[in-house]
Amino acid sequence: MMMGDQFRKVEQYSPKSSPRGARSPVVSRQDSTGTLKTTISLGKNPSIVHSGPFYLMKEPPGESDLTGAVNLMAYYGLEHTYSKFSGKKVKEQLSSFLPNLPGIIDAPGHQDNSSLRSVFEKPPIGGKELRPLTTVQLAGFRLHPGPLPEQYRYVSQAPTKKHKSRHKKHKHKTEGGAVGGELSAGEGGGDTHEKKHKKQKRHDEEKERKKRKKEKKRKKQKHSPEQGAGGLTPSQHSNA
Amino acid sequence: MFIENVRQIRIIVSDFQPQGQNVLNQKIQSLVYGLQEVDKLKSQVQDVHVPLEVFDYIDNGRNPQLYTKDCIEKALTKNEQVKGKIDAYRRFKSYLLVELNNVFPNELAKYRAIRGDERPVT
Repeated sequence: MMMGDQFRKVEQYSPKSSPRGARSPVVSRQDSTGTLKTTISLGKNPSIVHSGPFYLMKEPPGESDLTGAVNLMAYYGLEHTYSKFSGKKVKEQLSSFLPNLPGIIDAPGHQDNSSLRSVFEKPPIGGKELRPLTTVQLAGFRLHPGPLPEQYRYVSQAPTKKHKSRHKKHKHKTEGGAVGGELSAGEGGGDTHEKKHKKQKRHDEEKERKKRKKEKKRKKQKHSPEQGAGGLTPSQHSNA
Repeated sequence: MFIENVRQIRIIVSDFQPQGQNVLNQKIQSLVYGLQEVDKLKSQVQDVHVPLEVFDYIDNGRNPQLYTKDCIEKALTKNEQVKGKIDAYRRFKSYLLVELNNVFPNELAKYRAIRGDERPVT
């Protein structure tokens, strides 16, 4: 500590260039004692006290076998894992990690109180032996017939597997934009399902309409064959 | 199997028919057996440590593999940074020794003798 202070003082008053050129000042060059560390006291009685080998010589830091200079990925044998994750694009959704889980699992857990964090923040009662329910206990699970009330129906939405099949169909259609296509299909899965449903409905309705018109046509043709041609739709024209 | 049981119970319950009560009771019992199985398996995962951040990924509906990917990428970046620093300091040390050797050859010889640094100063 004292050395440091002294050294700073010396530094403050030391000239920019040494009068001896590129040589260390104060201590003579022919020092064979190995005691180059000195305490210099200035003032009325300046003195130089040799107290050690070098200024500011600290113990070198301990050599460690493993440092950041080594490729740690290779050291720990994680190169395969790295190439696995860096090579391909990992799908964002949780459902792509757990494809066999039914229901919609990509929604935030706090929305339906299904978050894992809540499990360890408020752990459930545990430590009790799990026993099959008795007949009396099972009586508590006797349900009323009929569908669930509206507010509980959200859980019975389309399972993830259906999403997947739709993804594939979407992919075939878009071909080039695979990534964008997947995302849009994943986000708007419900919409496509509705559209499909509507299309089918429309298709059925058209079929029925055609049937009805054909029957009408037949009836009209029986009565007056010339009149029937007036009210035909374009599709009926082609049929005719 | 446990998950499949839960799924089937959900279907039975969502539009309950009176004749389904027995099936539901059986399903509930198998649910209890399933829980017993899970409870037995807990000893196998006692020493598995999961980072808390992984739960955040799962709770937000994100693929937990993304956490692994992010960690690996961060580790690699940090590894490269530290290697860069170590290399820079090594180079600095060798330059410094060269220059000090030019200016203070005797002192440096002593210094190297004390340090046990036998490498030649170029």
